[in-house]
Amino acid sequence: MTTQTHAPAARRAPRLVPSLGVVVPATLVGAFVLAAVAPSVLAPGDPTAIDLEAAFLPPSTEHLLGTDQSGRDLWTRVVHGTRHSLLIGLGATGVALAIAAVLGFAAGLGGRLVDRVVGSLIEVSFAFPTMLLALLLVAVRGPSPSTLVLAVGIGSAPGYARMIRGQVLAVRQEAYVEAALALGHRRRDVVVRHVLPNAMRPLVAVVTLGISQSVVWASGLAFLGMGVAPPSPEWGALLEAGRTYVTFAWWLEVMPGLAIVLLAVSVTALGRAAQRRLEGTDR
Amino acid sequence: MSTHARPRPAVRRRPRASGLRPALAVALLAGLAACAPAGAEPAAPTTGEPVEGGTIVHAHVQEPPCLWGGWIQQAYLSRQVLDSLVSQDEDGEIVPWLATDWSVSEDQLVWTFTLAEGVEFTDGTPFDAQAVVDNFEFWITEQGNSTVLAYLGTYYESSRAVDPTTFELTLSRPYSSLLPALAQAYFGIQSPTALARGPEANCEEPIGTGPFTVEGWERGSVIRFARNPDYASAPANALHQGPAYVDGIEWRIVPDPVARFGALTTGEAHVVYDVPATQWTAAEQQYEVQQYITPGRPVALGLNTVAGPFTDVRVRKAFAAATDREAAVRSAFLGVVPFEGNGTVSASTPGYNAEVADDHPYDPDTAAALLDEAGWDSTDDEGYRVKDGERLEVRIVYGAGSIITPEGATVLQNLQEQVAEVGFQVTLVPATRDELFSGKFSGPESYDAKPGYWTSPTAGILHITFRQHLEESPNFSNSSFYNDPELEDLIVRANSSLDRAEQDRLYGEAQQILSDEAVSIGLYTQTTSLAVDPRLNDVWLEQSQGEPVYHDAWFER
Repeated sequence: MTTQTHAPAARRAPRLVPSLGVVVPATLVGAFVLAAVAPSVLAPGDPTAIDLEAAFLPPSTEHLLGTDQSGRDLWTRVVHGTRHSLLIGLGATGVALAIAAVLGFAAGLGGRLVDRVVGSLIEVSFAFPTMLLALLLVAVRGPSPSTLVLAVGIGSAPGYARMIRGQVLAVRQEAYVEAALALGHRRRDVVVRHVLPNAMRPLVAVVTLGISQSVVWASGLAFLGMGVAPPSPEWGALLEAGRTYVTFAWWLEVMPGLAIVLLAVSVTALGRAAQRRLEGTDR
Repeated sequence: MSTHARPRPAVRRRPRASGLRPALAVALLAGLAACAPAGAEPAAPTTGEPVEGGTIVHAHVQEPPCLWGGWIQQAYLSRQVLDSLVSQDEDGEIVPWLATDWSVSEDQLVWTFTLAEGVEFTDGTPFDAQAVVDNFEFWITEQGNSTVLAYLGTYYESSRAVDPTTFELTLSRPYSSLLPALAQAYFGIQSPTALARGPEANCEEPIGTGPFTVEGWERGSVIRFARNPDYASAPANALHQGPAYVDGIEWRIVPDPVARFGALTTGEAHVVYDVPATQWTAAEQQYEVQQYITPGRPVALGLNTVAGPFTDVRVRKAFAAATDREAAVRSAFLGVVPFEGNGTVSASTPGYNAEVADDHPYDPDTAAALLDEAGWDSTDDEGYRVKDGERLEVRIVYGAGSIITPEGATVLQNLQEQVAEVGFQVTLVPATRDELFSGKFSGPESYDAKPGYWTSPTAGILHITFRQHLEESPNFSNSSFYNDPELEDLIVRANSSLDRAEQDRLYGEAQQILSDEAVSIGLYTQTTSLAVDPRLNDVWLEQSQGEPVYHDAWFER
């Protein structure tokens, strides 16, 4: 692959034994991924099954996180809801990246006019808060999981687009790009083999951070009733359903909230660790 | 001056030191058995003389599009500013209000009302027989009030001012529930001068002869009412005549149940409407809790009989048998709101048929057999029934927050799981109020089942909810689109019957037909509940449909 042309002089060899700050979030993320891929391993029950005689039970050994107003087991619901939340987070980030890559490369490689047009488009969209853009889309398309993915994806695309544009502009000035062009490689090959990977690489960390941000935003929209309808175990929907009972059955609000926080924090911690390594500031 | 006994709501509790759930359930049953909203116990005696002053802060669940109109949420508001011709007292008797006396002709077609003298609307317009004529003309001829139209549209012939204090109403057919119908706030009399201002001004600021006037409306936040200092036309069942004791009402809109009840506990509000089931016990210990079990149509699932799987009566019956509705309701409302098995008329309504309430008991085996018989005899890999390659899918559209409370939504989710055991796949579609009122979910293609209620002091509500839905005369209140000319004839005959026993028999027969056809599945009774700060005395719920009355209320010093 390509070589880093100006690797920091003081870069140390990566540590072989990862720190606690990596192990703990990695374990948690692993657990969340397991919950998303094979929820029945962690919670064999049916996430929507009701037990009217067991409504509003507080957390106990039988019901780890307690039960809700219809006697549904909250642990089962949170575990099974992971897939919804994580998929919406990943999907939204994917949509954001796809849009951002198109815009960023067009701006970075398409000449001054295209750059100016796309640049203004990005600047203008920055004027709208992500949540507002997302709400607008939900209003137009109606609430559904795919709308959530699109809404959060489109809402967070401008940030990535601006970053990619900057990276593309920087990379295309690099000596190895000039060299490749001088050697007579076709422009398209140079873009695909040199510019694209080098421009995207610094985004790995940012995107990781973006996933947790997307999960939080999607949960927020679902909380506002803009996502999946009850009794879906999606985390934001759980929060919304628990809101009515917050003073009566605190666990219905606190536990799904904790799940969102744990996922967001652990993914962010991993993202930061990745960022430090890529930027060569790993300690 | 009125010497009538103080009105009592159906269930009224002063704060107690201990929980009252079992006692309340017994009281409710007693009230229901009497077939009339009877008092569970005499209200606590008022201590001391009423004191003037203070502003009541009422925290309410939702804000209707107008301050008066054909929906109970609008009647709650218009009751504060409009007076009606008559009122209904705690015994179900009709007592004088703006009409001091009335009589009806031998053939039951011509009603003559004697009106109170010297009453003025708050805009200075005199209240007289012509004003009443103008209101009837506006409601019916100009179609200005959908609910009045639903009640009287097919009965109204003409109205006439015989002299300034004599109003004459002519009907095309006898209508024995006329007086109870008139007691509802939908029939509140507005100033004809004000009506002439046009719909927008009337929407924002209806003007009547009532105890309060609209002072201002900050949409989404608060509606302010100010005392009418000249008020002199309280109904005969009011606790006092003359102006209200308080300076006004701040009607705050607080949709979130936790925040709404919290407003009471922090002292920001003196009254909260719709006490959450989870806070009921706590509320009873600290506040005066009033509950009114509304007569009329209970909250029931109207099943679409003209499109989708429920066109087959066996599938409708199977759905009813697949649900343990009593358990679903008890669990969701924690026993606070009673289950109602009769899907067409609720237990506190005169003319209620108690037998049909048990027609569709929980019986999954029967449900399964009925589905087999109806051709839904195989299941797919997810356990849902299939017929001709199509899954037995049922879309239930419900007005989340507007028609169905959070507890009601829990009932629907409970049903969803229960019927899944038998092989129904239920999709719950929460609809916003605007979607509902815009008619998006009114047509037969837009839902398979829709929960709804219609409060009414009479079983004659059947005429509104089950009058045929025909192309030339659509009736979207008939949410099942169930058309049966014989049934309609039965209800019309009951409405016109003067013999109470005969009338109840006819209404009962109509309920039996509707139950046999399983067109509407009963869930729970629509209720009005208030939790009142104990320092605020003499708040009461009127008896036609549970509108809160603040004219007699006063703050303890």
